Amino acid sequence: MPVAERMLSRIAESLFWMARYMERAEDTARILDVNYHMLLEQSQQTYRLRWEPLVNISGEQERFFKLYSMATTKTVFEFLGFHEDNPNSIAQCIYRARENARTIRDRISREMWQDINSLYHMVSKFNPADEIAVGPHRFCSTIKYGSHRFHGVSDDTLPHDEGWQFLQLGRALERAEMTARIVDVEYHNLVESRDPDEKPDNHQWMAVLKSVAAYEIYRRQYHSRIDPMCVAELLILHPQHPRSIRFNIATIQNSLRAISGTNPGSYSNEAERLTGKLYESLMYDRIEEIFERGLHTFLTGVQTTCRQIGYQIARTYFYY
Amino acid sequence: MFVAPGVPRPHYEKVLQGIGRLAPAEYEDRRQLADLSFLLQGITFTVYSDGRGTERLFPFDLMPRVLPRAEWDRLEAGLSQRVLALNHFLQDIYGPQRILADRKIPRSLVLSCKHYLREMIGVKVPRNIHTHISGIDLVRDSKTGDYLVLEDNVRTPSGISYVLENRLVMTRTFSKVFEVCEVLPIDQYPIELSNILRSLAPRGTGNPVVVLLTPGIYNSAYFEHSFLAQQMGIELVEGRDLVVDNDIVYMKTIRGLTRVDVIYRRIDDEFIDPLAFRRDSLLGVSGLMGAYRAGNIALANAIGNGVADDKAIYAYVPEFIKYYLDQTPLLRNVDTYLCSKPDHLKYVLEHLDELVVKAVGESGGYGMLMGPSASKEKIADFRAKLQQDPRNYIAQPVIGLSRCPALDPRTGRMAGRHVDLRPYCLFNGEKVIIVPGGLTRVALEPGSLIVNSSQGGGSKDTWVLRGET
Repeated sequence: MPVAERMLSRIAESLFWMARYMERAEDTARILDVNYHMLLEQSQQTYRLRWEPLVNISGEQERFFKLYSMATTKTVFEFLGFHEDNPNSIAQCIYRARENARTIRDRISREMWQDINSLYHMVSKFNPADEIAVGPHRFCSTIKYGSHRFHGVSDDTLPHDEGWQFLQLGRALERAEMTARIVDVEYHNLVESRDPDEKPDNHQWMAVLKSVAAYEIYRRQYHSRIDPMCVAELLILHPQHPRSIRFNIATIQNSLRAISGTNPGSYSNEAERLTGKLYESLMYDRIEEIFERGLHTFLTGVQTTCRQIGYQIARTYFYY
Repeated sequence: MFVAPGVPRPHYEKVLQGIGRLAPAEYEDRRQLADLSFLLQGITFTVYSDGRGTERLFPFDLMPRVLPRAEWDRLEAGLSQRVLALNHFLQDIYGPQRILADRKIPRSLVLSCKHYLREMIGVKVPRNIHTHISGIDLVRDSKTGDYLVLEDNVRTPSGISYVLENRLVMTRTFSKVFEVCEVLPIDQYPIELSNILRSLAPRGTGNPVVVLLTPGIYNSAYFEHSFLAQQMGIELVEGRDLVVDNDIVYMKTIRGLTRVDVIYRRIDDEFIDPLAFRRDSLLGVSGLMGAYRAGNIALANAIGNGVADDKAIYAYVPEFIKYYLDQTPLLRNVDTYLCSKPDHLKYVLEHLDELVVKAVGESGGYGMLMGPSASKEKIADFRAKLQQDPRNYIAQPVIGLSRCPALDPRTGRMAGRHVDLRPYCLFNGEKVIIVPGGLTRVALEPGSLIVNSSQGGGSKDTWVLRGET
């Protein structure tokens, strides 16, 4: 078989970011959708309390409060869903995923391009005012299924070569960081900022689990009523749940090794070293140990390492 | 298309049975399907006037233009002859300049052309090919029925992707009609082009690295660049992906630098190398010209081709055919007045309201005066320009373009609209290869002669039928 040509750095970078933006759009849509539904069953009081953490998860508090005075269904949905001044709004993420696809449309399959292009056109047709009036479900479902379809089409039409590995890297890195942020923000919001004697709020923890598609698996695994430590264990350390931090760090490790050809047990660049080190701790630490050292410190560390891994991937493969 | 009311020309008969007799509602359904398919594939151009970048479709008219086989065979012979002569001219003009010594074209006319590049003098291009790809614009004179050459585009002609995509959409939309019509296929184009590009590799390597160099996603032909790269299975690169070291061209990959052998470039000469041409170009590759002159990289089309499609030099192409090939031209030019000749200039100035005036180095309908429809101010403006810089202008009589039926979206009826034709000619160093047909552009406004997409023009699929020799 003839050897395939080496991949242009620019193309690897676009594949990585295309997957990353698509994942960011999906994650944001999931959080919005689930929280909205939970709030429908809540009192006005918690209503106000609950929207602000979503802005914190997106990491855009400063920008948000420049634009709005209060976090409500309307303002948060508009900001996270559509706002053009929020570079991480869902519509902006889809736009950027598609711009990345456009620069490499000769290198992705025709099916992938048509899929992401039609999702983009669908999203551009949504009228924010109408969607805000009916609530986020319709819009968020479109994004969620759009993202699922995109990954399905990619897996089935793109050769699983190094280009495909860069897609996996972008998605897993975004997802690991997002899960870390969700657990961090929610734990602070639902446990640390409350009276220690108060019972955990089942409703809200269920919403957290549902936002990362982990509710069913939690039920099967723990049977018990909702215990924040068990939730954290599932979302951080579960070896098979596709949105747990450990699962995604493992994906990154595998993809990095597939690209460089490094054998397990060694590393050939800084991105691989950092990933391996983080993976060790996720594999061997118990959740109790993590809590002893401080959950917040641990999760902040995970987020920092994820950012460093991203930077090192870029240094090794994208910058020339 | 009709010889008499209701009686179609014979080569249109089957097409009319299949497409022309569809009920308006059904025709509209198919048209919407075709539009949707173009939109989803992103075959659009972007208008940036509103700040957001709105994407528009190139209007596509479903009714194909049909060429009888015998007519096409004559065209093909005429186009081949023309491409060969243009290639000879370029080789000569950047080499021994025999044609100047023999006084077949004024030396001053050639040397004053702004696309004549001194940097190319004495450069030996791979396999002596300058015009790998030509898009020659033809019009059919409605009075005589003859095809005339309007322009030779031998720099970076675009549009072939629309030809290929239009056909794809048509086969999906009207598969039954194709079953009975026996339309000659065109999908071999990317393979033919790829073969030519690979044959140019300066190193004797079995598997040369061929790339397509694009200005990037903001270029209006970006879709075409990515389409062709994908169809040929070659890398689509931007200037920033390439680097020249010691007269060798490399591309930057995730594993370091990889040597490049052949570049199908879709960037204009003046932007291709900031060291050699425009210094402010961010699109090009510094040092590319050096690598080219050193013979380490092949470029298609060659640099400096603009001298051959200059609109004043165009007038001499029939002369080139006689001089280089010793043949009689099979395709005529449109009569052309060269404003650089005092007697021609005098005539043009006296008849500005009847003529089309064009700037010699422009394309795409820019820098043009349509005398019969122009305002007094615009005519006065051109009069001044002509007197100031006569070398920069030519004039031609207005040609009554032939018409083809197209759907008028306002009335929902078929009506005659003016068309032109751009066949795409590939030259492999020995012979000219032309996929049957080409891009038919159509002026969708009633009576309009302007087929440019920026000004209300659309396109049609062009069918050459197998049976009709």
